[in-house]
Amino acid sequence: MTDYLEILERSNTGEYITEENWDLEKVAATARRLVKKYALHWDRNQVVSDDPSLADAVYQAGYEMALELGVYCRSTERIIPLTQAEIDAGITNTPQTLVMGEGKDARTLYARKLGDERPPLFFGGPPGNPIPQHLLLPNVISYVQEPLIDLATCGTLTEVNGFAVRTGHPMEIVATRLESQIVHAALDKVGRPGMGVLGAQSSVSELGNLAATQPRYLRRCDSHLVPLLNELKIDNRNFSRVVNSLDYGMINASLACVIVGGLGGGAPGSAVVTVASFLVANVICRAGYHLLHPIHVRHVATSTRDVLWVTGIVGQAFASNAPSIIVADIYPKSGTGTIELLYETAANAIVNSVTASHLEGCGSADGALPNCSGLEARLMAEVALAAHRSKMTLSEANQWVLKLLPLYEHVFTLEEGNPGLPFDQVYDLSSIQPRDSWLKLYDQVKSELKTMGLPL
Amino acid sequence: MTDNELIAQIAQAVMDGEAGIAQDATRQALEAGIDPLRILNEGLMAGSDEVGKRFESGEYFLPELMLAGRALKAAMEILNPSLAGRIQSADSQGGMRVVIATIQTDIHDIGKNIVASMLTAAGYDVMDLGVDVPLKTILDKAEEVGAKVIALSALLTTSMPYMKDLVNLLEVRGLRQKYIVVVGGASVTEIWAREIGSDGTARNAAQAVTLVRNLLKAS
Repeated sequence: MTDYLEILERSNTGEYITEENWDLEKVAATARRLVKKYALHWDRNQVVSDDPSLADAVYQAGYEMALELGVYCRSTERIIPLTQAEIDAGITNTPQTLVMGEGKDARTLYARKLGDERPPLFFGGPPGNPIPQHLLLPNVISYVQEPLIDLATCGTLTEVNGFAVRTGHPMEIVATRLESQIVHAALDKVGRPGMGVLGAQSSVSELGNLAATQPRYLRRCDSHLVPLLNELKIDNRNFSRVVNSLDYGMINASLACVIVGGLGGGAPGSAVVTVASFLVANVICRAGYHLLHPIHVRHVATSTRDVLWVTGIVGQAFASNAPSIIVADIYPKSGTGTIELLYETAANAIVNSVTASHLEGCGSADGALPNCSGLEARLMAEVALAAHRSKMTLSEANQWVLKLLPLYEHVFTLEEGNPGLPFDQVYDLSSIQPRDSWLKLYDQVKSELKTMGLPL
Repeated sequence: MTDNELIAQIAQAVMDGEAGIAQDATRQALEAGIDPLRILNEGLMAGSDEVGKRFESGEYFLPELMLAGRALKAAMEILNPSLAGRIQSADSQGGMRVVIATIQTDIHDIGKNIVASMLTAAGYDVMDLGVDVPLKTILDKAEEVGAKVIALSALLTTSMPYMKDLVNLLEVRGLRQKYIVVVGGASVTEIWAREIGSDGTARNAAQAVTLVRNLLKAS
C-alpha cells in the first residue's frame, strides 16, 4: 500500500495544468504526433488488421504516450508522472491468470495470446444499462442461466421502491447494495452461487462502491470498476475505490472508454490512447484485468468499423507485447427484438475473440435503455467460440466482419437509433425465456451464420 | 492582400484552429476597413460552420472542434469592440450568453465539450462551468453573467434527476421564465426532457445548436 500512497501523493505535488490544456496540449497533441511518428493508419475495409508490425507500432506509441504524459488528476488539476520503471513493473506484474468466483463456479481468466488454444471466457450482462427494479432479477437470470456464460455483470438500478437513485446521494448506497443482493439471488436461483461478479454497476461515485465492499455484497472473489476518465485522467473518487479495494482484497477492473474521434483523433490515435490507458491503469488503478471499451464519438456503439479496428489492434498489441487479461465489451447500437442487434453482436464477438480478448456483453441499445437480454449474450458466446474452434485467422475475421457490416451499418444513420424493445417485451417474465418472436430472430441469424460457414 | 483574401484567411484560421493567425488576420481586416459584420459572418462564422460540418461528417475530430472554438474566441476578442451595438440589429448570436455544465455528480465531459465547442463556433458566448457542477453554482453563475440559456449535460441516468432539481430550483426562486433550459446526454429523451419541465433536448451537437437558436428566436 505504501508505494501506492506515494503515487497518490503525486496528485498533490505534480505539475499544475488546466484540464483544457491537458486535453489539447498534452493528449491531443501527443496522439497526433505519435500517429505521425509511427505512421499509424487504418483502412475501413481492413477492420481487423492482420499486420503484426502495425500492432507493435501502436503498442510502442502507446507506451511512449504513457511514459511521456502519465495521468491527470482532475480533483487537483495536477499531472501524476510515472517513471519507466513503474510502467515496466506494471507490465511485469500484471496478472497472467486470475481466479474469479468460488467453488465449482470459479473461473480462471488468463492473458490470451493470438491463436490461443484456450477458449475465451464470457461475462454475461448489460453493464450499466438502466434497469427498473422489478426487472433486474429476471434480467440478470436471463444471462447467468446461459450455460456458456462464465461470469456475471448487470445493469444499473435507477430507482428503488419508486424513489429515484441519485449519484452521490444516500440512495446510491441503497441501490448498489440492492443490486448486489439481486445478483446473488439470481445466481442462487440458477444454481451458480459461486459465479464471479463484476458488480456495483449502480455506483457511479465512490459512495455505493465503498458501501458494497463487504462479503455479503461484493466478495473478495468479485471485481469492481476503476474507471479512467476521458482521456488518461483519474480523480479522488476513483482513487478512493482503489485504496478501499487494495485493503479489502477485491479485484480491480480498469475501464478505459476511449472515445474514437475524441481527443485521440481518429482510430489510430484512439488506439494509442487506449494502449497508454491500460499501461497507466496497471499502476494507477492497480488493475487485475482491463475492460477494453472504445466508443464512437457520435454513434457510441462498439460495432462501428473504426471502433472494431481499435478493439482488434489493441488486443493484438497487448497479446504480442505485454500479455494482459483483457475483457472487451460489446455495446451494440441496436436493442433487443431487432435483427441488427444480433448481427452487431456477431461482428463484435468475432473481432474480440480472434484478437485475444475475453468478452463481456451485451450493453444493447448503446447501454442506454433496458432493451437487453440474455439471448444476445448467448449468441455472443456461441459466435466467439465458433471463431475460436475454427481457428479463425485475423484475415478470415476481417472477411467475416466485412460480410456482417452491411447487414447492420444502416442503424448508424437512423434518426431515432434502433432501440428495439424493453426486456419484458422480448422475454416471458414467468419462465424467463425469450418470447417466440425474439427466439425466431435469433434462430434466423444463427441459421444464416451457419449457412455463411460459421461452425455454430 | 485583398479584402476577400483576408476574409478567406480568417475562415481558414478558424478551420485550422490557429488562434494567433485568426487574431492577426482579424486585426488586419479591421485595419483595412472591412465591415466587422462581414468579418464575423463571412470569415469567422463561415470557418466555424465548415468545422461543424466536417465534425459531423467524421472528417474532423474533437481536437479540431476545440481548437476552432479557441481560435474563434481569440478573434472575437479583437472584433468585439467594433461590433458593439451592431449585433442585435444584425440578428447575430454575438453577446448571447450560454452557461453550460455537466450536472452535479456526473463527471463525463466529452458530450458537453462538443456541444460547448459547437455553440461557441456558432457565435454564442459560452461559459463552460465544467463537470460535477453543483446546482447552486450553475444558477449563481447564470445570474452573475446574465446568461439567457442554461445547458445541462448528464451521461449517467442516476445524475439525470439533478437536472429536474435544477428546473425546480429555478421555479421556486421565481427565475424559470428568465432562462431557456436545455438538457442533453445519452439517456436523455424528448419525453423525459418535457417531463422535467426543460425547454428541450437534441440528439447531437449540431441539433443542439439548432435547438438553442430556435428557442432563442421564439423567446
